[in-house]
Amino acid sequence: MEHFIQVSNFEKIIPYAKLFGEGFVVTVLLSLLAVMIGFALALVLATLRMSHCYPFLWLARTFPRFFGFLEYTSKGTKRESGFWYRLGRFNPLAFIAATYVEIVRSTPVIVQIFIIYHGVFSLIKLPTGTLFGFIKFHRFLPGVIALGMNSGAYLCEIIRSGIQSVDRGQTEAARSLGLNRSQTFRYVVFPQALKNILPAIANEFVAIIKESAVTYTIGVQDIMSAVNAVRGAAFIVMEPLLVATGLYFCLCFPASKGVAYLEKRMRRGDQR
Amino acid sequence: MATSDNLIQVQRLKKHYGQGSVKALDGITVDIRRGDVMVVIGPSGSGKSTFLRSLNLLEEPTSGAIFFNGIDITKHSYVNSAGKTVTLDIDHYRQRMGMVFQHFNLFPHMTVLQNMTLAPRKVRHFPKRAIEQKVRALLERVGLQNKANAYPIQLSGGQKQRVAIVRALCMDPEVMLFDEPTSALDPEMVGEVLDVMKELAREGMTMVVVTHEMGFAREVGNRILFMADGKLLEEGSPSAIFEHPQHPRLRDFLSKVL
Ligand SMILES: Nc1ncnc2c1ncn2[C@@H]1O[C@H](COP(=O)(O)OP(=O)(O)OP(=O)(O)O)[C@@H](O)[C@H]1O
Ligand SMILES: [Mg+2]
Repeated sequence: MEHFIQVSNFEKIIPYAKLFGEGFVVTVLLSLLAVMIGFALALVLATLRMSHCYPFLWLARTFPRFFGFLEYTSKGTKRESGFWYRLGRFNPLAFIAATYVEIVRSTPVIVQIFIIYHGVFSLIKLPTGTLFGFIKFHRFLPGVIALGMNSGAYLCEIIRSGIQSVDRGQTEAARSLGLNRSQTFRYVVFPQALKNILPAIANEFVAIIKESAVTYTIGVQDIMSAVNAVRGAAFIVMEPLLVATGLYFCLCFPASKGVAYLEKRMRRGDQR
Repeated sequence: MATSDNLIQVQRLKKHYGQGSVKALDGITVDIRRGDVMVVIGPSGSGKSTFLRSLNLLEEPTSGAIFFNGIDITKHSYVNSAGKTVTLDIDHYRQRMGMVFQHFNLFPHMTVLQNMTLAPRKVRHFPKRAIEQKVRALLERVGLQNKANAYPIQLSGGQKQRVAIVRALCMDPEVMLFDEPTSALDPEMVGEVLDVMKELAREGMTMVVVTHEMGFAREVGNRILFMADGKLLEEGSPSAIFEHPQHPRLRDFLSKVL
């Protein structure tokens, strides 16, 4: 243990500096792309979860003679509870989206990454080229997709809570002016929701930077894989790990501080 | 079913919450004629807001009917004059009913001008030029011509509510619904909003106003509805309601608020 950390060992890392530099770029790109894919996916998921697709209610209204009982009781009043009421309110799109979100949130990232890389992309053959000369496309892309699919589930919940945090009076005012549901969402609710959730989205980005470290297990050459390479070649662990610690910290700490600053400024803006 | 001077006919309207345990509206029947200034009064929780919000279906009634220009807007389709079944487009009817809320509900991320032009542009597809001209004229009418580019947060409560009123007027509604438009205002700002409403009434706008401003009800209203427990207990002219109240609940209510 006397040689636990040695200054001289840091010199051994110098030949691998380029590896760390490339790893840094890979980590940043991987996280950025993952959050972008995640955001797009989250928009779709949130739209599905908040959609108004009620096939049974549609049946009841289109064929009231046969299916009217789904909406109205025999006394002619609207149903407000019970099995038929819940069947009328059943939304298959929301169900699918909610199932996806819950499965992703209840399983480890590494399992998801392995399923995408060893499972899905064993069926789809990717070209084995490189980007910028050092990003291995056939490992990078599955990594991005897996992380994107993961963060999509979390961002979906963030977007949903952002939308729900917008005062109901906003929707009522818009609808009372004659805007339809999607116009109300697009022009009134979503812009306000986005402002509310920007800090949470940035936080998700920081979380993805950290989580992206596990993609070295499928051979993505990020910061963590540079650590591994040095360990294998120079037989030192702690020193490259400290370098990685520094790099991750330099990425995440300013990012989360920036988020905090943004949050503070926006709160001040609200009270103006 | 509907005659031409009846703009809105409400029939046996019921709205229940919690599987019927709360009867917010318990069978309301009333006709609103063109040019009416109908003031709805009653104790807290009597269903006044629910009634108003049902008129443009912000609340979906449990049962009953609301005819707007002869068409039952609580149903999902209707039979037109050519005998064809048409799906009812509720957004189309909401455009014709302006609504003003207790808490203004201006869009905070838009300027006054954008608040007012949003619906005319996106729903009616009015050309930008024409609508901005109209907006400026309306703003001038309520004395806010220099606030077109202000954000709601920069306005006082009274100014916000005046903007909310002209925002609704931008859509040329046939009726204006007011839900306690002055209840959230500081006392010194109540007058400026009531003045705008009085002028609207003078111009012949059909109005349904929920308010605790009894002075306004007496002066501007031509019909007063008294509600309690989701029921319409008494209806009449201001003098009948205020000078000769019949129902004990109304007498009791008036003794508390006057
Ligand atoms: N979403 C809801 N869920 C359950 N109960 C409700 C709901 N909205 C209203 N109610 C109930 O319906 C009744 C009528 O409410 P409403 O808001 O229409 O009264 P109001 O006459 O406008 O009262 P106020 O003068 O306080 O505004 C009240 O008992 C209220 O508690
Ligand atoms: Mg109310």
